[in-house]
Amino acid sequence: MADRWDDEKLFNALREAMSARRAVSTAFVEAAKSAYAWRNIDAELAQLTYDSSRDHERSVILRSETASIRALTFTSAHLAIELEVAEHSLIGQVIPPQEGRIETQPRVGVPTATQIDQIGCFSIDPIPASPFCLHCRTDDGTDLVTGWITL
Amino acid sequence: MRDDPSVVALVARAAEGDLSAWNELVERYAPLVWAICARYRLSSQDTEDVGQNVWLRLVEQLEFLREPAALPGWLATTTQRECLRLLRVARRYERFGSVPEELTRRTDDTVIDEEIIAAERNAALRAAFAELPAQCQELLALFLSDPPRSYAEISAMLQMPIGSIGPQRARCLERLRRTSSLTAFIDGEDAGAPLQTSGGEAHG
Repeated sequence: MADRWDDEKLFNALREAMSARRAVSTAFVEAAKSAYAWRNIDAELAQLTYDSSRDHERSVILRSETASIRALTFTSAHLAIELEVAEHSLIGQVIPPQEGRIETQPRVGVPTATQIDQIGCFSIDPIPASPFCLHCRTDDGTDLVTGWITL
Repeated sequence: MRDDPSVVALVARAAEGDLSAWNELVERYAPLVWAICARYRLSSQDTEDVGQNVWLRLVEQLEFLREPAALPGWLATTTQRECLRLLRVARRYERFGSVPEELTRRTDDTVIDEEIIAAERNAALRAAFAELPAQCQELLALFLSDPPRSYAEISAMLQMPIGSIGPQRARCLERLRRTSSLTAFIDGEDAGAPLQTSGGEAHG
């Protein structure tokens, strides 16, 4: 390839390569590097399947009536985690309801753990600094982790 | 290209717990994931969501990749799948759902293949640039700056006679051509299967 290219063609290809790298935000690259922290965690990845901030139609109605409440749902094959952002805390429930522990993992720093009660409810207080992710282990052995959450 | 030994080595090292190998994989291929999100016209928030899912999946899969050399293809396919999934989630709550369909048609496999080929070439060129001696990097960086600098400016900045800048630039480009990163890439391209197959089932 480059053998057949004259200097200008090679230089233009180099320019393109450099600008493709520059286009990528630092936050995007840093988040990708941080993902490696999950290497030894044998947990299933729960997908974001609902985010009220993407629900344009409903948020228009909510905004005129009440302060809009951010709600998120993460789903895996075995379990769903529903989250609501309250004033000072994060309220959640695992479905189907079961006891366990939930860990809040900030991108930088140590995780904090919270108990999940018999009906699957938990409360994380105060609201963790974004971005963070949740690592949930229920008593029946389900182990799952969400992607990074930014509120 | 399909058997790029450096990618195979990086994947193996990352699977064994080498953080610097992981970071290098990210540096190389983050632009590929980013470019595919851009093809789907995702917002920056959505691009970050897709990115984190793709890299978390790769962490899970590092030890199990059937063909580590095909990592760019695996990343491209996984990113495409995550983009489509996110668009489906968004569409579920929108009144008009025709936009993602149009995007799906435009962003077909051919486009993904083009992105993979461009990502491989760009990664090889950036690695080649990193191999250059500092003086060449400095000189070429001035030519690459935006807006481009004139020979007079470059001459003043590098305290180099204006007449020697052109020949020096040519020498640096020649060194770039001869770097191991670029020659390995060229050899791989010549020896490998036709480029069009790079998006095949091997990455599934």
